[in-house]
Amino acid sequence: MTLLMAENIKAYYFTRMGTIRAVDGVSLGVDKGMVLGVIGESGCGKSTFINTLMMNIRSPLRFIEGRVELDGLVISEMSREQLKKDIWGKLVALVPQSALNALMPTMKIRDFIVDAVRQHQDLPKEEIVGMARRRFEELNLPSDTLNLYPHELSGGMRQRAVIAIATLLNPKLLLADEVTSALDVSTQKQVLNLLADLRKRRIIDSVVYVSHDIAVVRQVADKMAVMYAGKVVEVAPTEDMIAKPLHPYTTALVNSVLTLEPEVRKRELSYLPGEPPSLINPPRGCRFHPRCSFAKEKCETEEPPLVEVSEKRLVSCHLF
Amino acid sequence: MPSRILLEIFKIKKFTISLAIILLLLFIGLVGPSIYPTDPFEAVFRPEDPPSSKNPLGTDSYGRDVLAQLLHGIRMSLYIGFTASLIALAIGVAIGSIAGVKGGLTDEVLMSVTNVVLALPSILLMLLIAAYFKYRDPMLVSIIIGVTSWPWVARAVRAQLLSLRAREFVHFSRMAGYSDFRIAVEDLLPNMAAYIFMALVLLMSGAMMAEAGLSMIGVGITRGASLGIMLYWAQMLEAVRRGLWWWFVPPGSVLVALSASLLMISTALDEYFSPRLKGR
Amino acid sequence: MEGEKAVYRGLLKRPVVKLLIRKVVFLFITYFVFITIIFALPRLVPGNPLAEMLANILQTMQATPELVRAVERRLMEEFGLHKPWHEQYIEFLGRMLRGDLGTSYSLYPRKVSELVFTYLPWTLGLLIPATLVSWIAGNTLGALAGYRRGGRFDNALLPVSLILSQTPYYWLAMILLYTFSVKLRLFPLGGAYPSHVVPSFTLEFIAGYLYHYTLPFLSIVLAAAGGWAIGMRVLVIYELRSDYVDFADSLGLSDRKLLQYVFKNSVLPQVTGLALNLGTILGGSLITELVFSYPGTGYLVFRALTRLDYPMIQGTFAILFLTLILANFLVDLVYMVIDPRIRTGYIGE
Ligand SMILES: Nc1ncnc2c1ncn2[C@@H]1O[C@H](COP(=O)(O)OP(=O)(O)OP(=O)(O)O)[C@@H](O)[C@H]1O
Ligand SMILES: [Mg+2]
Repeated sequence: MTLLMAENIKAYYFTRMGTIRAVDGVSLGVDKGMVLGVIGESGCGKSTFINTLMMNIRSPLRFIEGRVELDGLVISEMSREQLKKDIWGKLVALVPQSALNALMPTMKIRDFIVDAVRQHQDLPKEEIVGMARRRFEELNLPSDTLNLYPHELSGGMRQRAVIAIATLLNPKLLLADEVTSALDVSTQKQVLNLLADLRKRRIIDSVVYVSHDIAVVRQVADKMAVMYAGKVVEVAPTEDMIAKPLHPYTTALVNSVLTLEPEVRKRELSYLPGEPPSLINPPRGCRFHPRCSFAKEKCETEEPPLVEVSEKRLVSCHLF
Repeated sequence: MPSRILLEIFKIKKFTISLAIILLLLFIGLVGPSIYPTDPFEAVFRPEDPPSSKNPLGTDSYGRDVLAQLLHGIRMSLYIGFTASLIALAIGVAIGSIAGVKGGLTDEVLMSVTNVVLALPSILLMLLIAAYFKYRDPMLVSIIIGVTSWPWVARAVRAQLLSLRAREFVHFSRMAGYSDFRIAVEDLLPNMAAYIFMALVLLMSGAMMAEAGLSMIGVGITRGASLGIMLYWAQMLEAVRRGLWWWFVPPGSVLVALSASLLMISTALDEYFSPRLKGR
Repeated sequence: MEGEKAVYRGLLKRPVVKLLIRKVVFLFITYFVFITIIFALPRLVPGNPLAEMLANILQTMQATPELVRAVERRLMEEFGLHKPWHEQYIEFLGRMLRGDLGTSYSLYPRKVSELVFTYLPWTLGLLIPATLVSWIAGNTLGALAGYRRGGRFDNALLPVSLILSQTPYYWLAMILLYTFSVKLRLFPLGGAYPSHVVPSFTLEFIAGYLYHYTLPFLSIVLAAAGGWAIGMRVLVIYELRSDYVDFADSLGLSDRKLLQYVFKNSVLPQVTGLALNLGTILGGSLITELVFSYPGTGYLVFRALTRLDYPMIQGTFAILFLTLILANFLVDLVYMVIDPRIRTGYIGE
């Protein structure tokens, strides 16, 4: 069963410097109960993509075309008011990349939660606080956190509190943007455990987990999508992708990160020359061709489509 | 690279318009008195005459030509504004960069001093100092304004330096064994050129306002005319209550125009250089 | 006993209390520095203006020889110029602490402190309401403009507040006085109340007072509100882009609620701004008083400065500065109450 379906979505930033094609024709599906990992270098459009998945579009970003269907609702055709009223927080929730600063700084966490829940359910204050307290306890978060201000929490605690708040109304889909990147290893683990807990207790169904760190994504994701310069270049079940990456970019990415692992250590580290391309004037043809050691003439002129090359494996490359 | 930046800045409308206003008034102040040679202090006209072809901005209660006063006043206010802001800038940049580059105890001492001076209301301080000088020439007034207006510059320069210092190129210079002073002069200050220019612009508008304030309360320059002195005369001789609008409207308007243009220039630069406000 | 001590110790460790103590110490130091400057200036300036002043008075005073001698004795006593400077300094500090600000000579034999306290209430009565109203109005308008950046309201408000923010209060006062009193004859030409009534709690006096109050009040409010509006607008624009707004937005919080948050957080720096700008506001409004012939401290300062009445200059400035310090302290207290980050020691100098 598909929970989220994005079809050929495009979202561009219109700035003084030019149009930044941050998401440029991406199609992806997320099944119920699945964790989809999205990886890619910094600036390739991951955050823009994940925000577009919930239609969180704000100037200078504009939704150009495409269709996003969430749980049978075509949210790409809804107004922002409608999204805020019926979808966001209830059906889909976002843990932003900057979660460490995501809480209202001059309010107790408890009061912020009351405001957030009241937008969707008209409940008395005590009831909401009680609900939050039970949820925090269920997730093994200290419930006296609720009486504190954000700055009184540690980074890891703040990150977990944001996740708990985002999922308070049991959204089906959680969009998690780099939720572990700013944390040290042991705190990372706590956050990942929290995500696992949320799924185990059926508080949320599916997760889209964005990160530039394959090693982390690998621990949580059932399926991975690789983004490069505003496009998805490869989609595959996690272990398949790591064992046998197809796209030359994926290969470079996997090798550069995982060379210390025994099963891949044999492979030699491939070096990726050049810089990520500009999203204002992306290269013609395959966007990766200037950095690709297998580039053919065709790659410079013709954009490769994302095609299914074997079961559950999609890749966008002329080599396949 | 710098010329590209300049080109882009000149494309910002409010910057160009404000700059044009400033340059125009500067031109008027510099050249005006020679093109319009009427003596601003000679009481040879009929007193309190409204604007006419003979006296385009009328005359004051002594029979002196207001336009001539205005032209000299613009020149004087610009002179004091510029000199005072240079003085404040020099003190502020010196203290701020010594504190920022040296760090440690030096930093602490200098910043404590700066904070205390910042807490003293500069206008009261200026009035107080000015009161003890019987004769106040433009240079003295500039110095009085300059030595009381620098603290925020010192703080801003220091803060900016600290953030620059954390960046790599300074690290390299340090590793190469350059002295603090050399690092400050060669690496840091050029990076702060835009910042310092903005500070100068803001200081200048503040200084011209301060000059007017000092004059209004009776402790401005003791000889010559400035925009503030014109307002002071107008106030002393009841120009408002006697309906002599041509006497107090022009100097005030020019003062506001100068100050607002300077503020606009600094806002435009600020928006250009600080990405958060820029947006799109 | 022991328990009590522990309570005190605990209290002293609280961040707010620590901050408060630091603040008080700092303000005390600045006051001390200011007083020292007041003391040192006349003695540092070339030509010793104090001595010159004494000579001047003695020459120019058109009074009986007895009066001249009385003034001379009084001034010599108060300034103690014949004593070594450190004795003068200690005496000076002692007098300032006792609240003895000396004797005015341009209004001899009235005490400076008595003069200041008759004029100061008029100034405060004008300044405090005007400052509060301009602060509130400016911040509200600026917040609305920033919230709808680039909208019609913003486009109208921005140039107006920009120009107002660069308009000296006293010049705006001249323009208002000319327009509304001289030309339209809607308001009186000056003073704080009609000349035929005596200050008292009668309806007649209060009505007359308010009637005279309008224009000076408006001058300060309008000119000061411009600056607050500009500052608030920028703060709101910054704040609207902060991460907590995005997150709250993505949880579906209404725009109204978001604006509330943004307003709350942007107003905090403006409270600090108020504390920082009190001196400038005071300076501007003193001169505004002159334009309206308002019987406030502005008149006293002007008189003292133009007649070189040094005891009055020193006394008035000491009191004005003390007033500013108290106001500053009050504003800081308010800030501590409304910003939880200060209370818990998260921010603060
Ligand atoms: N508000 C914005 N205005 C203009 N351009 C933007 C904005 N936000 C992002 N961009 C640009 O869009 C592109 C994609 O940004 P995005 O944040 O989606 O990348 P990302 O993959 O999430 O990067 P990171 O790993 O650094 O988070 C980048 O080139 C970025 O500069
Ligand atoms: Mg991102």
